[in-house]
Amino acid sequence: MATLPAFARSNEAPVAIPRPQRDPFGLRSLPYEDVFFYCKRIDNSRLVREPDPKAPNACWSAVGVASVILALLLGVLAPNVASTLSGYRLESLRSEQRQLLDERRTLELQEAELLSPARLDQLAKDQDMVAPSAGQVVHLERGADGAVAMVK
Amino acid sequence: MRRLVYLTVLAGLWGGAIFLKLFSLQVLHHQQYARMARGRQELRIEIPAPRGTIFDRDGQPLAMSVPAESVFIDPRKVDLEVASGLLAGVLHLDRAQLYGSMKQALENHRGFLWIKRKISPQEAANLRALHLRWIAFQRESERHYPNGPLAAHVLGSVDFEERGNAGIEKSMDAVLRGEPGRIRLLTDVKRRGIESQLVSEARPGSSLTLTIDERVQFMAERDIAAAVEEHHAVSGSVVAMNPYTGDILALASYPTYDPNKGPRPGENRLARMNHAVSVPFEPGSVYKVITLSAALETTPLTPDSLINCHGGVLRLPGRVIHDSHSGLGLIPMAIVLAKSSNIGAIMIGMQVGQQNMYRYMRAFGFGQRTGIQLPAESPGKVRKLEYWGKTSLASVSMGQEVSVTTVQLAQAASVIANGGMLVRPRLILKKGDRPVPPAQPVRVVRPETAITMRQMMEGVVLFGTGRRAKVAGYSVGGKTGSAQIFDTAIGHYTHTYNGTFMGIAPLTNPAIVAVVTLNGTHGEGGFGGVAAAPVFQVVAGEALRVLDVPKDLPEPESPPKTLVAKNEDMDDLSIADLGSNQPNILEEGENEDGGQGPGASGQGVEVRSASSQSPVVPNFRGMTMRAVLTEAAEKGITILPDGSGVARLQDPPPGSALHPGERIRVRFAR
Repeated sequence: MATLPAFARSNEAPVAIPRPQRDPFGLRSLPYEDVFFYCKRIDNSRLVREPDPKAPNACWSAVGVASVILALLLGVLAPNVASTLSGYRLESLRSEQRQLLDERRTLELQEAELLSPARLDQLAKDQDMVAPSAGQVVHLERGADGAVAMVK
Repeated sequence: MRRLVYLTVLAGLWGGAIFLKLFSLQVLHHQQYARMARGRQELRIEIPAPRGTIFDRDGQPLAMSVPAESVFIDPRKVDLEVASGLLAGVLHLDRAQLYGSMKQALENHRGFLWIKRKISPQEAANLRALHLRWIAFQRESERHYPNGPLAAHVLGSVDFEERGNAGIEKSMDAVLRGEPGRIRLLTDVKRRGIESQLVSEARPGSSLTLTIDERVQFMAERDIAAAVEEHHAVSGSVVAMNPYTGDILALASYPTYDPNKGPRPGENRLARMNHAVSVPFEPGSVYKVITLSAALETTPLTPDSLINCHGGVLRLPGRVIHDSHSGLGLIPMAIVLAKSSNIGAIMIGMQVGQQNMYRYMRAFGFGQRTGIQLPAESPGKVRKLEYWGKTSLASVSMGQEVSVTTVQLAQAASVIANGGMLVRPRLILKKGDRPVPPAQPVRVVRPETAITMRQMMEGVVLFGTGRRAKVAGYSVGGKTGSAQIFDTAIGHYTHTYNGTFMGIAPLTNPAIVAVVTLNGTHGEGGFGGVAAAPVFQVVAGEALRVLDVPKDLPEPESPPKTLVAKNEDMDDLSIADLGSNQPNILEEGENEDGGQGPGASGQGVEVRSASSQSPVVPNFRGMTMRAVLTEAAEKGITILPDGSGVARLQDPPPGSALHPGERIRVRFAR
């Protein structure tokens, strides 16, 4: 088994080493035939992390910093988000207001058409009503209690 | 090392490219991209600024604008065949015509074409339901007149762009018209609004409150229409006015039109003319009010002054004027007015003189515009003194050689009604919330002259030519007029008339003056006392009731009826000699009662019930104390007079049985 540095070195460019004189009749060695791999057993069970009293503080500090950063981010972004959402709501309400104003004008027109003197005159004629002659109109005086009608 | 250099150069180039692109986006093409972004993200919305509403004096809307939508397309972006078929079907248009206009717009490279303007809400909903992006809507405003033809000549109308083209809509266009505002609306990808920015503020048109009373206007229009139809007149007009403020309560002209609809081919060309304001006419006998007022102001004449009517014939330089009212000799000036004697008026006018007559014509507002806020007002015609002929004074004295409008007559009647002040008629009560003060009145005649004229005008209604103008419960004064219409084509007066009645009610505290004119009436039935006075009676009666004016006379037990069938209605006729083309040759009309008016004979109108032949109580109402005492002495009746002035009340009432020895209590008042 070759070590990792050895393995790495094996990939490096070969260094010029003076070659020994080859036996012209000898077999060529295979690549990496001089390299042997084996498994080395390492027992880490006896290793125990040494308690660090500062670690929890550091952790909590990190959490706190993250929370602060998050809060700051939310503080910066939230108004924008709220503004955007309010903008949607506001524009929706404005649009609704314009529609309602339009609708009100249309209804006012309808009311005016319904109260047209010509229409009322025709309705009165249809119900056999006639215009009051002189003396037929009686204006009631308000009583002490403000009522103009007499209740029995 | 070399790799590092390559990497650095590459990063530099990359950064440089980004920088250049950013520079291009943010600096070089900033405007272009900003515009493109706005086009995608922003909507421009028009803030409506509707044309001002026109109200009557009680706040009832007479004209108002409501939102409407118009449809347009870009012809370059649609398939003309499909688009024309679709739109024509939904909007009820002619498909071939629509296709033709689309094609023409496309050939002219126009990117905008109105398909239909001011569509109905239902049509808009149907189009929106198609969800087609190439159909675009434009928000507009549409004028509506909820009462249809009511007060059409006062209100006028607007064109398609809502610009006034007649009536108040035209004269007050600058006040009524609004300026729409604009906002920029930032939208998201679904075109929902996020934020809006005001570009320009909307300036809605100011509302107007008119002096018109919708109810009085309706009655005036209804009754003048009925009178025009009944008397086969060409046109008619009514003006009802508050004599103290000049407020026009009703201004009706007939024939009329519906301002909701545009002019149509074949429409009566007279329908859109305001006859009360724009069409002058010879007033005839109603003008005698001016003549007699000038006489009271400038001469020693009084209502009791005797005027020589020359037995019906008057010789003027170069002209003989015949009066067919035979038998009218010396009569009091009050009877001249009540009987509408033309020769009497001429004799009074002669005493007034040209200078004074002209001065009072102008002072009463004739020959000049009243200043009413309506377009195309006619000033009428009053010729300058240097153009008066030898008989012009005679003609003017009885209402010829002068032309006036109905609203001018109402203005002149107001002078008598309010105690001698000329009050300009007005139509605008408020602009927005700001009241419009009436014009400063100008004194024309003394208060005592006005009161005297009122009393004489009451005689016209009580026993003269205007009896049909009586209003139950109210004292009424007035004057009738029936002027022949001069045909300029043939140079003669014709047998068509302008029948007029000018009235004031109640006389004790005038609340209303009204002038009724019917143009182009025919025959005796078209005279002012016959055709116009009944319209006054109805309009004034209804107006006084609507305006809640207290009565100044007791209620009659039965509805007033036509008491005498004499032909006195014709007395006010101003007839020119048909054989002459001169406009001032005068001839009296028929008078079947032999000229025996109440003043001449001292008689009141006697009431006899059809079923009873026993003596009945005469009607003394409206008679002077002298006349009452004279008649009572002739009939052997004992009178218990109380007060002074004209007889107002009597007990027992007229028409009741008169028992032997019974005394009649008569209360006089001014």
